[in-house]
Amino acid sequence: MNAKKQHTALRAGLLVFGSSLIILLCLISGQQLLNPFTLDQETLNTLLALRLPRVIVAFLMGGALGASGAVLQGIFRSPLADPYILGISSGAALLVASGLLFGINLFSLTIPALSFAGAVATGGLVVLLGRGWHGLQPERLLLAGIGVGFFLSATLMLLMTIASNDGLKQAFLWMSGDLSMVDFGAVPFGLFFILIGLALAFYHHKGLNALTLGDEVAYSLGFNPVSERLWLFMAASLMTAAAVSMGGVVGFIGLVVPHIVRRHIGSDAKTVLPLSVVSGGTLLCLADTLGRTVAAPLELPSGVVAAFIGAPYFIFLLQRKQNR
Amino acid sequence: MNIYTARIILLVFTFLFAGSGFAIAAGSPPQRIVSLAPVITEMLYSLGLGDQVVGVTSACDRPAEAARKTRIGSMPNPSLEAVLALKPDIVVMSREGNPKKAAERLQALGKKIYVFQPADLAGLPAAIREMGQALGAASKADEMAREMENAMQEAVSAASANQSAARKTLFIIWPKPLIVAGSGTIIDQAMELNGMSNMAAKAKGSYPRYSAETIIRQQPELIIIGAAHDEAMGRQVQSLLQQLKMLEAVKKGQVCYLGDGLYRPGARVVEGLKELKKCGETY
Repeated sequence: MNAKKQHTALRAGLLVFGSSLIILLCLISGQQLLNPFTLDQETLNTLLALRLPRVIVAFLMGGALGASGAVLQGIFRSPLADPYILGISSGAALLVASGLLFGINLFSLTIPALSFAGAVATGGLVVLLGRGWHGLQPERLLLAGIGVGFFLSATLMLLMTIASNDGLKQAFLWMSGDLSMVDFGAVPFGLFFILIGLALAFYHHKGLNALTLGDEVAYSLGFNPVSERLWLFMAASLMTAAAVSMGGVVGFIGLVVPHIVRRHIGSDAKTVLPLSVVSGGTLLCLADTLGRTVAAPLELPSGVVAAFIGAPYFIFLLQRKQNR
Repeated sequence: MNIYTARIILLVFTFLFAGSGFAIAAGSPPQRIVSLAPVITEMLYSLGLGDQVVGVTSACDRPAEAARKTRIGSMPNPSLEAVLALKPDIVVMSREGNPKKAAERLQALGKKIYVFQPADLAGLPAAIREMGQALGAASKADEMAREMENAMQEAVSAASANQSAARKTLFIIWPKPLIVAGSGTIIDQAMELNGMSNMAAKAKGSYPRYSAETIIRQQPELIIIGAAHDEAMGRQVQSLLQQLKMLEAVKKGQVCYLGDGLYRPGARVVEGLKELKKCGETY
């Protein structure tokens, strides 16, 4: 047992080390490769005012989505659950866009609060629609999520088409997770939401492990499946809302990351949650860096690059499920 | 380095660079200009500032020399890094098409920006003069503005000399999908100057989607087709006109082909106004 623990710790350490290297690489690469050892003022300005906020926001967003995916896959006992596929991200984005359109103003809380409300409402709706005769059914849940997600993105498109507001016209880029204009402005609230969500998920990590084994087992282990699921769902919604409020809708990170972590390191929620944050953050940083590098000076939205990585993986998972 | 240290350093740099930006504003005309829109690029060249342009967008196709300048990304999503790397004295952008966020970020980075924002066709000459003054090309801008005012005046006097009622006109921007010029656009205002009544003015939006059915029901007396020099578009126009062949206007050949002068609110609007006036007189 001790040897296994050591093994896990070693792998986790390697992951964190590798991620740090990748993030450093993301910071210096872009349209031009910046040499951190021969800094002039212009380079430093680019590094601190443009690259640093992008890398930080991408890491926080990716981390939040990764952890939120890990939680959702556990509580819905479906390997295909993810805030994007379940429509939660679209719900958050739609409520933010409508709020901006109708001039709702809660000061600096406007975007994060609307985003959270949208995430919770959509999640609730999807769960309601995903209920069959015998409680939550993974396939039903997935279909409900896809249906609701499509409906919400269509509504968002409609809003954007009829609105003449300059901010909303930008919503298209926002919908595809564009990080090219991010600054530190959205970071404090985003970070706050993510930390609360993560703390909540950690507090209930034993419940999350139990839920993965099935409601009956969870019950016999002394957990109340309903309340555990509710708390964990709130945590996932908080983290998704934070991600959307910082940079818009990015898909597939929440899907891919927990699988990678579980496959290579271990499936205990206590390990999966923090490592999903690290690898999710690193993956989105990498996607954003690729987006600003491959077609420079054109910027590909990081959400598009993430989908290029994530969608094939999603198909691979479906295929594997079928073969079983 | 943690976020807070980074933010403090960022703040210090922002002030440092903001300071240098103001210094340039007070002094000599800008020597390194980055343009964030095709209309701006065209205008800069018309103002004789082509040599000072160091960066343009990937959509800047006119004049041909502009295509050889460094690209900084697209108009709706310019790369801030690419702009900074060119070390511009000033970044000239357009209110239409460039994101407000880009202006805010560039200003926060201490870059001097100029936003070209003509309210409408009537306000265009004034906006050109203002831009000329900001960039140290006032006399050239004044010349350009005066030429434009003359073209507008000519259109108005020709229209008022013509006693007949305003003709129901439709301006087709693109045949497939069918996009027409709606209210609030420079094209709409140019049509009004020329005594044409824009059938699409009541449709929602500046560039509404239309259907062949709507055109047939509304019975335009004159159809104008813009950017007709484009070959691929020419073929699509023919198939659209085939669909509309029961219209009196099409039967009588009341179809006029125009360039793209009125598409960008810049120097070539004069050209567009003259062509539109000729359309009204010939057909």
